[in-house]
Amino acid sequence: MSDDNQVNITINDQPVTVPKGTLLVDAAKEVGVEIPVFCYHEKLGPFGCCRMCLVEVEKMPKLTTACTQTVMPDMVVRTESPKVVKAQQGVLEFTLLNHPLDCPVCDKGGECPLQDNTFKFGSGTTRMEFDRADNDKVTPLSPVITIDRERCIACQRCTRYSDIIEQEQALVMLNRGFKNEVHTFCDEPYATRYSGNVIDICPVGALTNTEFRFKARSWNLDNAETLCAHCGCNCNMTLGSRTNKLMRIQTRPNDLVDDGWICDKARFGYDFIESEDRLLEAGTVVGGARKKVNALDAAVQVADSLSKIVDEYGPESVGFLGSAYGTNEELYLYQKLFRSVLGTNNLDHKTYQDTPGLPIDHYDFLNVETANLVLLIGSDPAEELPILDLRIKKAVTRRGVKLAILNDQKTALDKFAELSSTYNVGADGAALSALANGLAEGGAGDESVTGISAEQMKSLVELIRSGKKVCVVYNPASLTGNSIHMLKHLLSVIGKIPDIECGAIPAAPSTNAVGAMDMGILPDFSPGGTPADKGLSAMEMIDKAESGELKALLMYRSNPVVDFPGGKRVEAALKNLNLLVVHDMMETETSQLAHIILPSNGPGYDEGTTTNIGGRVQYRRRGLNTKNLPDWKIVSKMINSLSEEPVEYITSFNVTEEISEKVPGYGEINKKSIRKEGKTREPVTSVNGSVPQVEKVNSADQGLKLRVATRLFTRDKILSTSSPLAHHFLPSTVNVHADDAAKLGFSEGDEAVLSANGAEVRAKVEISNRCNPGAVIVPMVADDQGVQGLAGGGSVSWVEVKKG
Amino acid sequence: MFTFTPEDEKQIEKIVGKYPVKRSALLPLLTLVQRRDGYISPEAMKAIGGKLELSPAYVQSVMSFYTMYHTHPTGKYIILFCHNISCQLNGADDLLAYTSKKLGIDVGGTTKDKKFTLHREECLAACSGGPMMRVNDVFHENLTTAKIDKILDSLA
Ligand code: SF4
Ligand code: SF4
Ligand code: FES
Repeated sequence: MSDDNQVNITINDQPVTVPKGTLLVDAAKEVGVEIPVFCYHEKLGPFGCCRMCLVEVEKMPKLTTACTQTVMPDMVVRTESPKVVKAQQGVLEFTLLNHPLDCPVCDKGGECPLQDNTFKFGSGTTRMEFDRADNDKVTPLSPVITIDRERCIACQRCTRYSDIIEQEQALVMLNRGFKNEVHTFCDEPYATRYSGNVIDICPVGALTNTEFRFKARSWNLDNAETLCAHCGCNCNMTLGSRTNKLMRIQTRPNDLVDDGWICDKARFGYDFIESEDRLLEAGTVVGGARKKVNALDAAVQVADSLSKIVDEYGPESVGFLGSAYGTNEELYLYQKLFRSVLGTNNLDHKTYQDTPGLPIDHYDFLNVETANLVLLIGSDPAEELPILDLRIKKAVTRRGVKLAILNDQKTALDKFAELSSTYNVGADGAALSALANGLAEGGAGDESVTGISAEQMKSLVELIRSGKKVCVVYNPASLTGNSIHMLKHLLSVIGKIPDIECGAIPAAPSTNAVGAMDMGILPDFSPGGTPADKGLSAMEMIDKAESGELKALLMYRSNPVVDFPGGKRVEAALKNLNLLVVHDMMETETSQLAHIILPSNGPGYDEGTTTNIGGRVQYRRRGLNTKNLPDWKIVSKMINSLSEEPVEYITSFNVTEEISEKVPGYGEINKKSIRKEGKTREPVTSVNGSVPQVEKVNSADQGLKLRVATRLFTRDKILSTSSPLAHHFLPSTVNVHADDAAKLGFSEGDEAVLSANGAEVRAKVEISNRCNPGAVIVPMVADDQGVQGLAGGGSVSWVEVKKG
Repeated sequence: MFTFTPEDEKQIEKIVGKYPVKRSALLPLLTLVQRRDGYISPEAMKAIGGKLELSPAYVQSVMSFYTMYHTHPTGKYIILFCHNISCQLNGADDLLAYTSKKLGIDVGGTTKDKKFTLHREECLAACSGGPMMRVNDVFHENLTTAKIDKILDSLA
């Protein structure tokens, strides 16, 4: 049997069969032979600069580097011959010439490839008799990374990472040669979104985590294999703690999700865990003052009060505002409390419209790489889903995948795109409809409405038609009005193109947005996408609270006062409620209004499953201990105090079991099946709606349309001013198109005042054609910027922009 | 503020056109700027990077490998003094010290009147005529102190 794609070789007398193109260094792993490396890293590919991996290959005159040599038929390789051993010892002696004797205090000690290789492959002695180099020991590369130049062995993993993986070329080797040093351009801070990964891949203790430096020895850490809870990627990470204090966060490679990386928000953005603004105690507000109460008592009180209100005013008078930041278990139980026990369908977790299920396959991260075309709609992965951003860059730069972008704003990914079309703000429905029609029957829509020329639309249609395998990535949170239905219509049109394989990734930014929908935190769907009688959506609940028809709301990790459109109106509506319960992990503008407070443990302390944008269900393990009750215990107490047949859950996995039993699509999800890499849940059924009408965008009498853009590093409840990431915070700015700037008489850097709905936001003018004329983009930079107050809550918001 | 002149732009287009990939034009563009300005400023690195889709850091890293690219303003005449083996055995060190003293500047420095910049340089491939120095684009070989006096005094 011979397979053209397999190659047989011998390593240390052991036969190995590996796919063509495999590097010797990787082939050796197949038979348990370790070839030491420094510069080689699987994700970076061959380089060959450190010479640590020298091996002997029969018929080759000299030793060769196993990290650059691919397998050839019948190769005979030796990794332990006297020649190789001598070379290894020589390379190590050379590498150590100027390396300081820092091991006893070095952060890398105990997990250092240089230490390990020296022990395993070094000679144990040196012929060196002169002084070692004397280089800078503490140079900040940024506020979060410090380099120790003496320890650097110039392997160039970090600089190649910056070039190949993050595609920034921000870290480089200056003065290549004897005096080479890792630097940024003119020593500006190394401040990319993914900078921290270089700490993990540095094979020595040169690149260190500034916060963690000298705090603990690696072998003294308690490591929890957990997940990042900041965005919908759900990257795998290790949370290291000592005496129950968070010490550091590192990558925990899972190729199905993160491809071995985490972004800086994960690595440096968890100090909220120990923030002073944590809500740690349950409380009831009596006469304006908060009184501490036992959490279980508070839970019973909440349940009783809610059920009394239901008895008096009917189940429509209570509602639940959840958030996509909870785990499936927490959200499932809340859903059960409100739908099954209290009998209301007033549940939601978002202010935009969305429905569960897709008319085509639900794709995951791997499909991004195996597609021929990625079609990105309304999504800005760099700011919303950073690790998806890396995956898309990988697909484009290393897998030959084409990228097409359809968005109302220019984004960092545009420069990687084959085609990038900008539709007018608020014209997403029209643009999607035009594309769907173009694909189905030709035609390009009305440029005066969509802002996309007939020519561009034609090219886009062509790109998709010739795509063979198309992966659509869309952000439902960026779509206005009912455009999500148009998007789903577009998906089914793409699905019907002959000879096309396709799927989509619903790329909403929040951590468990897919899970929240699957768990039925929706006004019109029960868990698993089962249609339900329509209850009130989030914004409708605010309306009804304002009108007095809604009497009670329970907010779970949601802060509408800041995050919902409407601003002051939202606050007034919440104040109008008979009962406002806030279950949260931080004090927020909304918790200040609550009658009853329940503490939520949140990431770090909580445990449970989340479902990422690729539909993968994974387990978020607890990293730190707390005396507080887990959230699911508090919710189950509420349920049990009201139901005839109480269900006792011993661990969070008991809730997972119930989800597995009750939620369509989650049948295969259990403790065991998700243990290692997680498991993809079965996609929920999609309800085929009729082709929707494009909503007309009313033009206001005056002003410009408003688009609020998401930013990764926002000064909010998660990243406070004392965050190590504070150097990423931006002042309030407004992006104005040059045409509008000319009309309004603005120049770059002017102060502007934006007003709408009685709210005002001050911002610096940045003249950039980030969107089409007639609209402005305001990146959300801080909670107290108040930009959501400008949004009206309708499908498109208008603002007046004046000089400030 | 660093800008390319319309004439530069034409040149750049021509140079970039010669290569299958843009970034291969990096050294020629660095040379173009250095010939024009005598050195390459951080702004210039950004501008060159912009033309070739390279980060300024990458431009700086390539540039820093080549000792003949200058990062600081230079004088009208750049003197590169070879100090490799042939020249050195023939007295290059003394001649360099002599020149340095004559101009009143350290090696690496520029005279106050911005006329001369003095550098020590690796082999300039004129070993048979060592000791030698290069003044802008001209090689001067078989140097003596008298010869150096004559050469430097003759430069306006
Ligand atoms: S800092 Fe670390 S990763 Fe970067 S070149 Fe030096 S040893 Fe390699
Ligand atoms: S991409 Fe998202 S999930 Fe991944 S590390 Fe960053 S914030 Fe966390
Ligand atoms: S690992 Fe092969 S040369 Fe560095």
